[in-house]
Amino acid sequence: MLGRLRMDVDDAINWYNCLAEEVFSDQKWRGEGKFKARKLETLLKSMVEDVTSDPESPLLEEDEARICRT
Amino acid sequence: MNIPVLFRTYESRQTSLNCKIWEAARATSAEPTFFKPIKLGRNQNQPFIDGDLGRNNPSQLVLEEAKTLFGDRQLCCFVSIGTGQADVITLQSSSVLQRLIPADIVEALRAIATDCEATHQDMAGRFAELPDAYFRLNVEQGMQGIRLSEWEKLHTVEAHTMHYLRRNEMDERLTALVKTFGVSIGKIPIEQLGM
Repeated sequence: MLGRLRMDVDDAINWYNCLAEEVFSDQKWRGEGKFKARKLETLLKSMVEDVTSDPESPLLEEDEARICRT
Repeated sequence: MNIPVLFRTYESRQTSLNCKIWEAARATSAEPTFFKPIKLGRNQNQPFIDGDLGRNNPSQLVLEEAKTLFGDRQLCCFVSIGTGQADVITLQSSSVLQRLIPADIVEALRAIATDCEATHQDMAGRFAELPDAYFRLNVEQGMQGIRLSEWEKLHTVEAHTMHYLRRNEMDERLTALVKTFGVSIGKIPIEQLGM
């Protein structure tokens, strides 16, 4: 969040709170894992879209000379 | 121990994963029992089990990476931010909790806390001769018993963190950190910080 998405601290905390509440308040009762991975993925994509306007943005940044490497 | 994979946002000789931001976030999230593992890589065949198993304090890894990237450059400072001490001894002493939390999880928590502390001690040793070059911020009290999934306790985490930051010695440390950042003077070539 702070690195690749370059959020400020307040935005990162808000997004974290939102993700944690949505994902961890919905426990799964069967299958692998205690919580729904699909739900986490959907939320992560909407977060990435909110910042970069593309939910499928690559992790690699092109113009790396000026960026903070994370 | 599995070999750790670094998710980089920059080109590197070792970059091979070519994944998306959400995939990197998903692969490095939470503990093994929380979500089913995600498969990434060219043929979607590399499973990622856990974001931090065995590397809960990745300081040495970061230093290695910095050496590879900027070996001949000078290091100004190294800031390490922890997620709070997992105080398992307190956790164990409560009989109710002891019955609810399986012994292997208590053991795993203890191992993580020990591993993080050992890494911190190692880093502090490397920077021992360099004042104000290594900063470790880690809430030492109050985080025990708060599990990763307990989102409703986030305000407790915030309160303990504020309390930690307001202590006198932390105030001094933070002032030194801000000052060091401000002047940004190299103290030692990165390659001289031995492994």
